[in-house]
Amino acid sequence: MAGLGGGGNDVQWCFSQVKGAIDDDVAEADIISTVEFNHSGELLATGDKGGRVVIFQQETENKSQPQYRSEYNVYSTFQSHEPEFDYLKSLEIEEKINKIRWLPQKNAAQFLLSTNDKTIKLWKISERDKRPEGYNLKEEDGRYRDATTITTLRVPVFRPMDLMVEASPRRVFANAHTYHINSISVNSDHETYLSADDLRINLWNQEITDRSFNIVDIKPANMEELTEVITAAEFHPHQCNTFVYSSSKGTIRLCDMRASALCDKHSKLFEEPEDPSNRSFFSEIISSISDVKFSHNGRYMMTRDYLSVKIWDINMENRPVETYQVHEYLRSKLCSLYENDCIFDKFECCWNGNDSVVMTGSYNNFFRMLDRTQRRDVTLEASRESCKPRQVLKPRRVCAGGKRKKDEISVDSLDFNKKILHTAWHPQDNIIAVATTNNLYIFQEKVN
Amino acid sequence: MLGKGLKRKLEQEEENERKKMDPHQEVMPTFYCLQRQTVLTLSLSKLHSQPAHSDPGLVRRVLITNTLRHIQEELRVEAVLLPQSLATDIKDSFTSALAEIEDLCPAVEITSSLTNSHKFRQTEPVHESMESNMDSALFQFTPSLLDSAQSLFNHCPSLLADFSLDDFLFTEIDNLLFDNTPCSSSPSPSSGSSKVISMTFKSDLNELDHIMEVLVGS
Repeated sequence: MAGLGGGGNDVQWCFSQVKGAIDDDVAEADIISTVEFNHSGELLATGDKGGRVVIFQQETENKSQPQYRSEYNVYSTFQSHEPEFDYLKSLEIEEKINKIRWLPQKNAAQFLLSTNDKTIKLWKISERDKRPEGYNLKEEDGRYRDATTITTLRVPVFRPMDLMVEASPRRVFANAHTYHINSISVNSDHETYLSADDLRINLWNQEITDRSFNIVDIKPANMEELTEVITAAEFHPHQCNTFVYSSSKGTIRLCDMRASALCDKHSKLFEEPEDPSNRSFFSEIISSISDVKFSHNGRYMMTRDYLSVKIWDINMENRPVETYQVHEYLRSKLCSLYENDCIFDKFECCWNGNDSVVMTGSYNNFFRMLDRTQRRDVTLEASRESCKPRQVLKPRRVCAGGKRKKDEISVDSLDFNKKILHTAWHPQDNIIAVATTNNLYIFQEKVN
Repeated sequence: MLGKGLKRKLEQEEENERKKMDPHQEVMPTFYCLQRQTVLTLSLSKLHSQPAHSDPGLVRRVLITNTLRHIQEELRVEAVLLPQSLATDIKDSFTSALAEIEDLCPAVEITSSLTNSHKFRQTEPVHESMESNMDSALFQFTPSLLDSAQSLFNHCPSLLADFSLDDFLFTEIDNLLFDNTPCSSSPSPSSGSSKVISMTFKSDLNELDHIMEVLVGS
């Protein structure tokens, strides 16, 4: 039975598809910057550094057959954002898509929010498979007919045509962020959403573009006193008054919008005291949280910092309930990773449909599946070498030091340019989307 | 005493020297000092090499600055605890870090104004040899500089205008984000930014003395 039970280790993951160019020369614009399934899992959206959004759709025929491997094929591609230039500050504004979030489906059309550093856009994706034919005044190619030649009248009729998927921008939410937008999150009230930049969080109505409410502002009066920034924010999946935001100092603040209009004062502060034995020059940098995600049931939240994934019970603030090491073997390499800037890489994380397994990326195109119920973990690799259809992924092992066993890879051989920052898990089934630099891999649970 | 021209051999020898000088003083692990030096240099160079044409990432900048602050604070605390002779080594670490930066960004002429009688080698890349870092730290101070350092130490000035690197680092951020920086007047974006930086530093050289107070004084 797909999706239920079955943690990261009972499940065997198989290659399903890979999207993107094969050659090693990666065009900068093709670098994938975000991946997101919609609420049914039928659609999978990716955003890239060139400002484009590509949406894949799952083939739904034969889904009842367990052997059938549902494939994702390109459904729509459009240019969401263009590069801009801020003339006042003499600065370029990148067109890179930082985040995509789907709105819950209300009618035949699909809606998503996509954002770059400064501007959020609401896109409507709709299908057209019929077109009207038989106009009285126009020819089929659009030219106007000579009125004197018209002797009869007819009613135009809809005739089928090849399916056309159209993406049109319905709203543009601009000029509300001085700093770089890092997160957007749709509220469960189906009316509002939040956008967060380094210092502020704004609340929007999905329909209204010329106004937003500032609900968090941590900008100090004197910028020289700035020591902490907002790194991610998300609404609670069910409580429309609750949201969390994480910081560069490793703290998470839960805010209740009922308490006051400005949520500078948190309702809860989640912070784990530092382990003094692990203290180094880089302690603060590696404690910076790069992603925060509520579990589907809303009882937990997960945070990702440089070396670990932590699961927090939202009713317990003083420490996480679970901590998983993603790549502890990097702890002794922090100075080099600081030098080459890898220490600032922002890894994301995600939950599976029933919150039993979490997944996050690492280097060398490795990604980690962390099974909460069985307390086991596995490292897998997204590579062109394991691309045969239905090929089962073999667990990978990294040798931290000492004698390297067969099939292990040593820390010094890891390719730090091959990083998996963005991953997504189908909301119900064991289907995962893993983005390497410019390729999107889709893996599925092995079905016997 | 560590004098100029003395080739550094094993780290152990230096430790022994320090122990001889003050057997009761707790010895700081040398590797720790070397790493701190590296991190200090890396942090400064990262902050100065931000491209001017695109928005500087605030997260990265804040994290690097906080790392610098932490090292500064450590050095400040050590300067208080350690005897005078070692305090000058601490001052060296900062000066040599600035020397590295100058080699990396020729427009930034901090060290030449600050340490006019110093001879420092062309530095090799930081990661290549720790040794060059330590060698460049073996400067000979002019008597006047030593005296001023000593007097600062003794006076324990109460007003250390908590002035630090942050002040003009964040002034830079504000300059880039909010002011009409005349980038168009410069031939290329990168040289434009270093011109902005060097102008900032030249105009704030007095404040660099405050930094020395922070490092050397209490």
